[in-house]
Amino acid sequence: MKGSYKVEVANANLKYEFVIRRNITIIKGDSATGKTTLVEMIRDYYEDGEKSGIELICERPCRAVGGRDWHLILSVLHETIVFIDENNEFLPTVEFARAVRDSDNYYVLVTREGLPNLPYSVEEIYGIRNSGKYGSLKKIYHEFYHIYGKNSYSRPLKPEVLLLEDSNAGFEFFQNLAQLGECTAVSAGGKSNIFLKSMENSKKRLLIIADGAAFGAEMDRVMQFILEHDNITLYLPESFEWLILTSGVIVLTLEERKMLSVPEEYIESKKYFSWERFFTEFLVATTNGTYLQYAKNRLNPNYLHKAICDKIRLAMPELGL
Amino acid sequence: MLSVYYGDMADAIYNTVVYFKNTYTDEWITDDLCKKMILDVDKSTVLGPRIIDSPVLGGISPRELSGGVKTLICIYKVPDKVFNASACGDNCAKWLLEIGKRQDVTVNLRHLMNFGKDAFELKILNSGQIVHTMRELLPIAGMIVR
Repeated sequence: MKGSYKVEVANANLKYEFVIRRNITIIKGDSATGKTTLVEMIRDYYEDGEKSGIELICERPCRAVGGRDWHLILSVLHETIVFIDENNEFLPTVEFARAVRDSDNYYVLVTREGLPNLPYSVEEIYGIRNSGKYGSLKKIYHEFYHIYGKNSYSRPLKPEVLLLEDSNAGFEFFQNLAQLGECTAVSAGGKSNIFLKSMENSKKRLLIIADGAAFGAEMDRVMQFILEHDNITLYLPESFEWLILTSGVIVLTLEERKMLSVPEEYIESKKYFSWERFFTEFLVATTNGTYLQYAKNRLNPNYLHKAICDKIRLAMPELGL
Repeated sequence: MLSVYYGDMADAIYNTVVYFKNTYTDEWITDDLCKKMILDVDKSTVLGPRIIDSPVLGGISPRELSGGVKTLICIYKVPDKVFNASACGDNCAKWLLEIGKRQDVTVNLRHLMNFGKDAFELKILNSGQIVHTMRELLPIAGMIVR
């Protein structure tokens, strides 16, 4: 499944309105904000349609799934937006992650637990709030908001240490930048080690760079740690390959530029579990046979030439690198 | 004191909503602390043991309370069992600490609940350590859950 889908669901007292853009969306936040009520309304509409008294408008079918037979239900759903409430113990399991990976559905998961088996984006973690938009009416309007604000976790600093999720091409590029800026680059060797490495380097001016496209499960503990330390900044481009593609070093066609501006319209969720894989494949294909031919396991040295390097660096001016 | 076991805990009651539905009594709902928790977390007023005034849903039964407040009530009223407190949002954290001041309770957390900026007392059962701030808690609990 690909594309973005607006979902409107309402009864006499409540209205929810939001847009789903990727295969995995997480809803979390305070208690009593209406998360379970949303899933119940989706379930009631599926069971009784308009006779439920609920109005649901969406281009795709919406289903609430839960309970012991979740895998049987998921196996017969296609091109569906699946809602799963908390209190379903299967959410953090490997079996569930496999089912998500192998399906062509989009998933909206209500949970506060980090789900390390699922590569979800920090951009698709939401809370629900009452917007007051229909404040003069009796119906209470609910909308989604980003739990992690787009700029709230980027504080400019001149880093002493660069901590990178990557250990391949991305690390080599930032290691070069670090040497030029007289700081040290450290590879965490994977996103799950970022928290530990942050603690080890917490006395220094630290800049963490990770792939936002799949950093969702790590975000809560890393953000809470950063909020306790004024000297640490987190920078989350979609991925290193996305950074190169959007920096202007690669000449792109109009269609390719559109692909970058609305990737959800092009990325088939069953083929790409996470958007970072799509951007890697896109960059490899676009640069194939050129002097900037890209490979993820080892950086093409041409990316370290001053003009190229500067252009990518200037795509993130706020970092002071 | 409030004791927390972080991560998977086989004996903990994960689906707190189902447990509440099948065990709560009228007395639970009219208990003074429960009424305060319902008012603070759900912004709802207990009118009687079987009727609660919700600003969003109108007149509701205890079964329609939020998952967070149902879990808090279970933790308070059934202290000999361990409940999955990850069904509670951060707006329930102060009530977990309050319950822990009144009686010894153990909860299971599968995420990093934020207990706020003020000092508190909480025992992390995984390591046996007692912590007093989020700055003390995070390096220990953050290595166990995300």
